[in-house]
Parts: sequence; structure tokens; C-alpha cells
Amino acid sequence: MAGLGELERAVMDVLWAAPAPCTARDVQDALAQRELATTTVLTVLGRLERKGLVSRTRDSRAHRYQASGTREDHIATLMADALAGAPDRGAVLVRFLGGMPPEEQAALRDLLR
Amino acid sequence: MIPNAAALLVLGVLLAEPVSRALASARWPALDPTGALLLWQAVGLAGGLALLGAGVSFGLAPLGPSLPAAVGALAGHLRRWDWPPGLGPWQLLALAATAALAARLFGVLGLAVTRTLRARRRHRDLLDVLATPWPAMAGARVLAHPLPVAYCLPGLRSRLVVSEGTLAALSPAELAAVLAHERAHLRERHDLVVLPFVAWGATAPWVPGMARAQVAVAALVEMRADDVARARAGHLALAGALRRVGGAATLSGRATLTSFSAAVSGRLDRLDRRLGSLPLALRLLPRLAALALVAVPTAVLLAP
Repeated sequence: MAGLGELERAVMDVLWAAPAPCTARDVQDALAQRELATTTVLTVLGRLERKGLVSRTRDSRAHRYQASGTREDHIATLMADALAGAPDRGAVLVRFLGGMPPEEQAALRDLLR
Repeated sequence: MIPNAAALLVLGVLLAEPVSRALASARWPALDPTGALLLWQAVGLAGGLALLGAGVSFGLAPLGPSLPAAVGALAGHLRRWDWPPGLGPWQLLALAATAALAARLFGVLGLAVTRTLRARRRHRDLLDVLATPWPAMAGARVLAHPLPVAYCLPGLRSRLVVSEGTLAALSPAELAAVLAHERAHLRERHDLVVLPFVAWGATAPWVPGMARAQVAVAALVEMRADDVARARAGHLALAGALRRVGGAATLSGRATLTSFSAAVSGRLDRLDRRLGSLPLALRLLPRLAALALVAVPTAVLLAP
């Protein structure tokens, strides 16, 4: 589903750039050159909300969406996962450099903050 | 069946502790990681089979001269709703202990599988939004972060990831070596090889053999992937990548990252010694031993 991933990235870019929470309509307008259907935008926003990247608030009649954290925050989370990983998740990722003892994971997590 | 049960118990205990300890500290696995990994799988499988089989054989011993006969007799009694004669408190205790051990082993494994799959899906969900596809390399993604990492997310929908720090630090040949290493992990499903040992090492950390098995298997999987990468990309490229990425992580981190870099230097040493492959006869040995290890308890349990 490379196409969907690409769309999700585009929507996140809109939300990260927006100064205030957006409605689905705002997102649709910002991506006007893609000629997306409203349902498509809502589907993508729903997926991003489930992934924890977007939070939704209800404001009188419209739902407003906003990014829940900067791109850097989320990338730091992924990096911490990739470099350390909890011990009981030893098989989640396979790294080029192998695992790391817990005390070093803590040091690395500090570093990534 | 009592002698059978005793023999299986001895075999199971030997495999869980002294044999695991010896295999974990042996030096030959560095020469033949694949053979050693097969042997580890056999040790784990045969150990579990022997311990569980010992309990069942002892518990059902009063019902027949062999396990298949005893199981048949038990089924017959249960079908007629009568209590099997000879099943006393000791037998029930053995059967209950066996059932508890089996529930623990498979429960822990099931939990580890569920957790792993959930963590992987979560990571992949984020990755697909946050990492940009890398046009030069089909199926690979780039994460915008200066620390050098390269890793893969195993599974049916696998992902191969490198950070911008890695792209900046490595030459094209070194990068090819890193990618060959990760592809070997993905293709040979090393995550599945490691998973049971991670799960059982976490269940019984007080059994040193099990904890050491986990560490040894993880190291062997890296050696195997290094061997594939060396064959694909060359010795120099792989050693260079390990030196640069391993060294960079240490430098940009802190002095506490010592044993992390110690693992890297162990792998570099192994590459630098340019280990040749073992002669065929020696390579056959661990494979035959693995086969025999699984065959013996199976035969003892199923013999009529």
C-alpha cells in the first residue's frame, strides 16, 4: 500500500505546517491539486488517528484534527525503538548492530530526547 | 516406562543446563553459525520434549508398558467414565507439574509472539508515515535522523530502514554490505530463530543455560548475516561499515556504550581472522547431532 503511505505523509505535512487544528475540509483544500474525495481525506485522518499521530477535537459542528507531536518527536521514538528496544521485544527488529544492555538503552533514550 | 521417564528427565536436565552452557561457550560456532543455530534449535526442542515427556511417561506408567499403550488405555477408561486404576497421588502430581510446565512454556511463547507482532505493527505504522521511501533501493526507507542506524522490521510486510546518519557515514560499498546483512536477517527469518530463546530466556532467567542460550543465538544470527554480507559485498566493505557505524554510535553516545561497541569489536575480530569454512565432514557433525537430539526423545516416547 505504498500509495496510502504517501497520502498519509502528505496529510501529516499539511497538519505539521498548519498553525491551528484543521478540519477535513482544510486538509482537502491544502491538497487541492490531488483532487481527493472527502471520504478519502476522512479515511486517511482516521488511520492517522489510530496510529496516534493525529488527535481530534470536536468544535461546535466540525471535527478538527491536529498533529499529536512533531515529526522529530516521532522519529526519536522510532530511533529509540531501533537502537534499543525493550528486552522482551528482542525479535521485534533485527539491527545491524545487535542489541544493547538495559543501562545503555537508558543512556541512549536520554540522548534522543 | 519408569526407566524411560528417568532417562528423559536426565536428558532434559542435561540439555537445559550443562549442554547449553557448553554450547554457549564453545568456539566452533563462530566457524559454522548455521550448523550451531540448527543445533541450538534441536537442543531447545529436544530439551522441552524430554522434560514434558518424562512427566507424562512417569504419570501414565501404571497404565501400560509404553506411552502409546498407556495413552490408549487412559482414553479407554475416560470414555467409560471410570477412574484409571493405578493413578495415585504421585502420578497425578507428575501429570499436573507437566501440564503446568507446558502451559508456562507455550503461554510465554504465545505472549512473546503477540507482543512482538503488536510492537512491530505499531513501529511499521509509524514508519510508513515518517520514513521516506528510498528510490535508489526498492523496499528500503530512510529515517531523517543524524544517528547512524540500519535495521529491518521482519514479518510478512517487512521493512528495511536506514537513517540519514548511516547514508552520510558509509560509502556505497559499505552501505551495500549493511543492506545485505539486513536482507539476510529478513530472508532467513532470523526473528523466528531468536524468538523462542528470547521468550524462554525471559521465563527462566535463573537457569543460566537458558539465559546464555538467548545471548548465544542472538550472536550467531549476527554472524550468519555477516557471512552473507561478506559473501555479497566483500570483507572490506563489511568491516568498514561495522567500524564506521559501530564507532559513530559510540562516539555520539557516551562512554557507557562500551559493551555495545564490544559486540562490534567481537564481530570485527571474527571478520579480520578471515575464518574459512570448515571441511564438509565437520560441517555435517552438528547437523547430524541436531537430528539425533530430536530423534532420540521422540523414539523413546513413541516406541511401542
